[in-house]
Amino acid sequence: MSAAITVRQLSKAYSYARRRPGLSGLFSKDQVIVEAVAGVDFTIQPGERVAIIGPNGAGKSTTLKMLSGILEPSGGSATVLGLVPWRDRKALAYRIGVVFGQRSQLWGELPARDSFNLLRHIYDQDVAVFARRLGDLTERFALADILDQPVNRMSLGQRMRCEITASLLHGPNLLFLDEPTIGLDVTAKAAIRDFIREHARDHGQTVLLTSHDTRDIELVCDRVIVVNQGRIVVDQPTAELRKRFLGRKIITFQSAGAGVSLDLPGVTRRASEAHATILEVDTRVTRVELVIAAALAAGGIEDVTIEDPPMEEVIHDIYAAHG
Amino acid sequence: MTSTPLTADARAPSLLPAAWAAFRIGAGQTAAGWTVLAGRCLFYTLIMVVISALWDKVAAEQVAGAIRLSGDLAIYVGATEWITLSLPALHIKFEDEIRGGQLEPHLLRPKPYLLMTFAQSLGGALVRMAALGATGMTLLLLSGRARPPMEAFGYLAVLGVLALIVGMLLYGLAGLGAFWARRVLPFQLVIQKLMFLLGGLFAPISLYPGWLRQVGEASPFAAHLYWAGAQVMAPSFGMFATALAWQGFWIVVLTGGWVILWRAGLAKVLREGGA
Repeated sequence: MSAAITVRQLSKAYSYARRRPGLSGLFSKDQVIVEAVAGVDFTIQPGERVAIIGPNGAGKSTTLKMLSGILEPSGGSATVLGLVPWRDRKALAYRIGVVFGQRSQLWGELPARDSFNLLRHIYDQDVAVFARRLGDLTERFALADILDQPVNRMSLGQRMRCEITASLLHGPNLLFLDEPTIGLDVTAKAAIRDFIREHARDHGQTVLLTSHDTRDIELVCDRVIVVNQGRIVVDQPTAELRKRFLGRKIITFQSAGAGVSLDLPGVTRRASEAHATILEVDTRVTRVELVIAAALAAGGIEDVTIEDPPMEEVIHDIYAAHG
Repeated sequence: MTSTPLTADARAPSLLPAAWAAFRIGAGQTAAGWTVLAGRCLFYTLIMVVISALWDKVAAEQVAGAIRLSGDLAIYVGATEWITLSLPALHIKFEDEIRGGQLEPHLLRPKPYLLMTFAQSLGGALVRMAALGATGMTLLLLSGRARPPMEAFGYLAVLGVLALIVGMLLYGLAGLGAFWARRVLPFQLVIQKLMFLLGGLFAPISLYPGWLRQVGEASPFAAHLYWAGAQVMAPSFGMFATALAWQGFWIVVLTGGWVILWRAGLAKVLREGGA
């Protein structure tokens, strides 16, 4: 079976003019070149669900844009479903779905139903097939109550469900997701992740997503590519990465009185503030619920938040391990 | 959900059904926003009351040495304002989408962005044109003015729609400038001023000296306003045919301008990325 995506030495450099300091800057500028993607290589097989992760400016979105055909590379080559994306952009459009978490592909002033119907014509979809797909997605995503609501009056979670629906209505073989859960609450994130995973699994769909949220990666993808400064640092199965780098949680306890003091294996105290104790928990050693139970038993807890370590820290750890 | 393998269940690619769907959506949106439409019709009424009062006074006072025109200038302005107020703000839409990075979702689709945007905007513009046309006819009937001959309305209907397309293409060119300029307002202002000077927005360019009149008549600004408006002053099949020829010419030229600017702008976006 031929690969869904093949990338060889793909690179992208941007240049911009920077004014020189002083009076000479009025007449001459320096040309600054920024290497956003610096010769990456990877292959993704049909049906694989792969995450590209990395800190801001690592080149994740740039890579996704090149692979979806809306950005030309500076060098290297890539094929997506047998097509060169930036040369065969329109032909590829029929076969891929793309969701940008921070950009809407729907017509904000239109009810979602009208946007979907317009997309049927844009993608030359057969009426019966389109109706069946929309029916399935409406049921799966509980869209019935919001289909006639203008998109710009929806909550972010509702809009994202509609965005993903819109990206799937033409039955793409490959789905690109750029930060699909950004800004969503916990429940909405969970719904989106479940859906993407199950839909891809049921339809043998290939998924390539970028995210800052380690849960997106853990719950949706079976392989992770870590990029930093335009280069691939790690490319390995999620299970392996989880064992090594994603087994930590940050728990913050708010308390009225003195801070929380726990003596549990795998639990270390981070720099904390007055009335807020921040603990780092190695979940491979001690489970999160045990830590919370122990803290509650000690008394005085007013609030608890559980977070993943910032992606920058995860990347730092990975980078250090592969340095 | 049913567990079926994904296939491309697409019909043969075609542009017209998609453009027609966009056109209908544009028309539906404008009709649904009937309060905005009603506001525009009220504004048209206000303009016509003021302009009629001005031109009626000019006509009544018979200024010595002033050039006299056959026909009713107030009805002429009624026609040009009918076209102007029907125009969509295509330049602002282009600016917003190009500068705001909203072009990317459109580029990920298999149908041309320009065609779809134009079709959607035209749908809305024609609904506005119908509502403003009904308002204009009502005002004309209520004013008790002498009505232009019936053929004038037929000519005006045809040339008005083409004039609208010329106007959309003109302002669209300004909007496509957003690929290179941060704001398209300066381009828009230049077009607006030239519409006053060469398009005959408030007075027909037949008032100009011969050489300037010829320049004006051959300009896209006259194709947008003057040629349609002139039909209510002194309608004739000959002038109608001349107007059609100029409008056809400018539609072809301006469409070519759109394609050239779009290709250059798209190449820039694909090379440098969206905003």
